[in-house]
Amino acid sequence: MKIQYKPKRDLLETIIHLEILQGLALTLKKLFSKPITREYPGEMPPVYPGFRGQHALVRDPVSGTSKCIACLRCSQACPARCIRVKYHIDESNGSRIVDNYEIEALRCVYCGYCVEVCPVNAVTMTDIFEYSSTDRQSLHFDKERLLENWDHFTKSDSYERQSYVNPLWRPRGFPKSRLTASSRESVPKNRKIEKQFTGTKLGIKKNNKEAGGYNNLYPTHGEKNAH
Amino acid sequence: MSRKISFNCPVQAGDEDRYRIQMGPQHPATHGVLRVDLDLDGEIIRKCNPHVGYLHRGFEKLAEHRTYVQNLVLTDRLDYMAAMANNVGYCEAVEKLLAIEVPQRSRYLRTMVCEMARLASHLLWLATHALDIGAMTVFLYCFREREELLEIFAELCGSRLTNTYTRLGGVRQDVTHSIMMKLEKFVDSFPSNLEEYETLIDTNRIWLKRTIDVGTVGADEAVGLCLTGASLRGSGVDYDIRKHFPYAAYDFMDFEVPLGETGDTYARYRCRIEEMLQSNSILRQCIERMPPGPIIGDDAPDLIMPNKPGRKVEVDVPAQQSLIKLVEDRETFMEGDVYVATEVPKGELGFYFVSDGNGTPYRMHIRSPSFLHISALKTMAKGSMLADLIAIIGTLDVVLGECDR
Repeated sequence: MKIQYKPKRDLLETIIHLEILQGLALTLKKLFSKPITREYPGEMPPVYPGFRGQHALVRDPVSGTSKCIACLRCSQACPARCIRVKYHIDESNGSRIVDNYEIEALRCVYCGYCVEVCPVNAVTMTDIFEYSSTDRQSLHFDKERLLENWDHFTKSDSYERQSYVNPLWRPRGFPKSRLTASSRESVPKNRKIEKQFTGTKLGIKKNNKEAGGYNNLYPTHGEKNAH
Repeated sequence: MSRKISFNCPVQAGDEDRYRIQMGPQHPATHGVLRVDLDLDGEIIRKCNPHVGYLHRGFEKLAEHRTYVQNLVLTDRLDYMAAMANNVGYCEAVEKLLAIEVPQRSRYLRTMVCEMARLASHLLWLATHALDIGAMTVFLYCFREREELLEIFAELCGSRLTNTYTRLGGVRQDVTHSIMMKLEKFVDSFPSNLEEYETLIDTNRIWLKRTIDVGTVGADEAVGLCLTGASLRGSGVDYDIRKHFPYAAYDFMDFEVPLGETGDTYARYRCRIEEMLQSNSILRQCIERMPPGPIIGDDAPDLIMPNKPGRKVEVDVPAQQSLIKLVEDRETFMEGDVYVATEVPKGELGFYFVSDGNGTPYRMHIRSPSFLHISALKTMAKGSMLADLIAIIGTLDVVLGECDR
């Protein structure tokens, strides 16, 4: 497809500066339209469920401390290697007891892998994004601080709106086999699960079948799942 | 009394009239931290020598010590204008290496986010390119649309810029109805917004004078300079990976590849504007044809990948909790090498992997379009005016995060 050019301006348009007047008219029109800017400190930007903000350890309402079972999955998955978990083993029943749980927020890349791999919803990322600091130590979260973060988050408005259901904990469209079954019980039973979005014009076939190259990247898939 | 001026660099005989200036690395028109060494004869550039490396973070080396899943996070930081497109490119390459199958729905979702990223990147390109040349108003208007796209990204995956949206074997999250409503609204309003930019600059006489016959590259020369993307298509070379080597769901989409003829800055500008319209139509097709189904394949690797083949990541869990049986049993990784290229907004982004069978790549090479475009600057800027260099850097659409990587 060749690109289209606008016709060249004629002499009259050159003399009256038509294209510049058109531009000025547009800016003049925009002068009276509604502003699209946001006065940030007064007006907060929208935060959607699943936002990857400040880290927190969920405080278990029964035991009053974190739900972490020291399985170390989060520290294994972390690409920035900023999570450290210290634990000891209780001799009586063999369970692991978390001594300290550290996240260095300054090294974190906010990918959210730790939240996704956590089998018991212990670690989470809250909606809070205003926690900058002038010293490093206050951004080196230990267990107490992370629990405090959770308390802080539960008091905020966005917590009530979402009622602690972060969609990342049960990602939409995931096959059941990839979720650990009894672990995600903090999702309320009566939570409405939205119907999956699908298009209205399904059933359109592949248009260039003979295209080679990387097309055979998915060798069997085209035939099996073509809609 | 005459005094001889001593230069740091030796000056050849006959070149005493020239003078040498350093443009950058903090020059606002260099789109990041690019330093250009210029030999000027009056206002005409005789020699242009770009220096890169101010944003080098060693991604290729870092990648050798991280698993394939963890490396996905690095690709967000390559071309931070269109992180989604990088994610898709990386995942396509690793999926070919590990022979992972991708469900149809996530292929459509990948196409959708790729085109959203293309729009976001091209809008920022138009904004800064126009700002460099001197048109301030376009800058403000472009950010209006880009903001809408970033809001959709934030709702989709929880982050505006560093998305980490794709997964090996699928995508991270499914779309909701509210996201698609927003996107549909954006798609409907976008062509009329594009007309506003065109009103401002398309026939503006200053814009035409600054862009026509500036940085002209012929078709053969453009291929020789390794230009890709819209920079190449402005010269009339019909090469678009989406069309000719389709990945994701591009072989289900109807779109055209806009081609210029003259190969100057104006032709490349028109190419990108037309590309935005084509992206818009692809987005509309994605919304209309989104198939149902799972978003991640059943054989997709876990987020915790083993470093060594056959090594089981096994974690003993307290017995009374009886929650989890965390076993990762991907026995083998494929040995060999693979190169997969995808069409990101800047051009051809290729990932080359050499795998020795471990869970981490033995070598990861990134063929980034920005790096090759900057090396083309040397040829393109030679003989042009100093002020045109700004337009040429802008039209090549470089981002230094991807160039230095």
